[in-house]
Amino acid sequence: MPHYIGVILDDIRLKQIKGTPLEEKIQDLFGGTLKMLVVEVPEEKSKEILDNFDRARIDSRGYIEDVPVAFKRAIFEEIAKAKSLDIIDKVLEKLPEIQEDAKKESEYIPPPKIEE
Amino acid sequence: MALLRPPLPHGGKLVDRVVKRPEIGIKMAAGCPTYDIKPTLYNGAPIRNVYREIMSICYGFFSPVEGSMVRDEVERVLNERRLLSEWIFPYPLVFDISEEDYKVLGVKEGDRLLLRLKGQPFAVLDVEEVYKLDPKELAERTFGTPEKNPEVVKVPFDEKHPGYVIYRCLNSVIIAGKYTIVNEPKFREPYDRFWLPPAKCREVIKNEKKWRTVIAHQTRNVPHVGHEMLMKNAAYTGDIEPCHGILVNAIIGAKRRGDYPDEAILEGHEAVNKYNYIKPSRHMVTFTLWDMRYGNPLESLLHGVIRQNLGCTHHMFGRDHAAVGEYYDMYATQILWTKGIPSFGFEAPPTEVDYGLKILPQNMAEFWYCPKCGEVAYSETCGHEKEKQKFSGSFIRGMVAEGIFPPNVIFRPEVYKVIVKWWKVFNYPFVNEKYLEWKNKELEIDLPPMEVPKA
Repeated sequence: MPHYIGVILDDIRLKQIKGTPLEEKIQDLFGGTLKMLVVEVPEEKSKEILDNFDRARIDSRGYIEDVPVAFKRAIFEEIAKAKSLDIIDKVLEKLPEIQEDAKKESEYIPPPKIEE
Repeated sequence: MALLRPPLPHGGKLVDRVVKRPEIGIKMAAGCPTYDIKPTLYNGAPIRNVYREIMSICYGFFSPVEGSMVRDEVERVLNERRLLSEWIFPYPLVFDISEEDYKVLGVKEGDRLLLRLKGQPFAVLDVEEVYKLDPKELAERTFGTPEKNPEVVKVPFDEKHPGYVIYRCLNSVIIAGKYTIVNEPKFREPYDRFWLPPAKCREVIKNEKKWRTVIAHQTRNVPHVGHEMLMKNAAYTGDIEPCHGILVNAIIGAKRRGDYPDEAILEGHEAVNKYNYIKPSRHMVTFTLWDMRYGNPLESLLHGVIRQNLGCTHHMFGRDHAAVGEYYDMYATQILWTKGIPSFGFEAPPTEVDYGLKILPQNMAEFWYCPKCGEVAYSETCGHEKEKQKFSGSFIRGMVAEGIFPPNVIFRPEVYKVIVKWWKVFNYPFVNEKYLEWKNKELEIDLPPMEVPKA
């Protein structure tokens, strides 16, 4: 059974995929207040992801969650580059460098700039 | 229908073992052997500090428990979930110490031990018994096994379970006896404004809030809108009218990596009433010091004890209550409060056994967002099973970590701003090892300087 990775799209990401066939694949969440692309991950690949990130887990919806931010960013970068959702192999090729970035994340994640 | 009133504390009266006058505290502690409280460690990381148990016992949150349990009481709790006084209680609570430290201390039955914290006198322990136990066996018996507790335990507990690890990592020498706090601590910000121990909480409920019925909300989370809906809807229970008040009682202590920092949990809940999503006249935020054991049905029993002692008439329980992983059946808490769990000593629900609890359970399912209904809906009401969008905690954490401002239907903006406020303080939105170490050093309290004459 495949699992899924949800990639949330903020305004910057939406701009990057504007005018591509990916626009048709955008899903609305929470009444359209959130936009998301869903990447399907075959079972053996989801196992590889779980093996590589100790906190990663499959949630009750069948989504792979609690993965490092670096992993999510890499997924979107590959999607934007390929203009396709068929990118999981490309992302897995980059695992060593993603893991290096993820290590830094256990100590520091930059806070977002928001209006106080 | 009879109108409900706040139940008596568990055990009949609130435990109060806090000396308010320093000169009496000094007298009680004078000449005692001293011991500096040490955290329980797992792979070098602090996962429990017994000071939180001492605070919760002495201020009456765990009434009628008065101290570190003697061997017979630990056995009774493990076998029947009852104290020697008959009152039900879920967990063994003990003061553990390493063999090396014990050799140096050498205290015995009848001695008084002064416990120091952050370099200052904190509490005394009047020694009733010193004994040894096997932490691994204690951990297994505390949480149960699939063989002995087949009604609710699905898989054997292991070192991935944070509560199991706490018991597994205890030292093997136990010093049992009653605690008394001799040097009353001062809470640091922001804890100070949420500190309402049971006697004070009952007073505020009765005289300031004037609530006759109160439903407790257990939390270890910054509230998303699903939690807010749970609170609002569960509070419709009551007697002839909905509950007058909603008491949020956060569990504050060492948590697992990925949970939110305690400061954000408290202020996040406070934002719910500060910005009138639930008006402050109906909503109040407090906390209990406890290093969570994540024991699902057993933890719910402890929550019942604490919130009855705080003066609540009702307690809301959700699915997977205080759970982690899939060790317990996701409905284990609801099974306990609906029909009991015989293998844990409950042939009937905890409210229907002798020396049981009086607080009334309100078992709730879950809330999700339904795009078809266009609202946050209750799972037992909304039939749009296919369309539902769950408030998945890990999904929301992922969104937060990516720095995406969540929509109003997931987090109230004021609540999210609290997360970011503490994110900036700790350079991290969630609990990580650095936070746990910092927290273990600073704790939630400071102790006034106190000079105690030595022997």
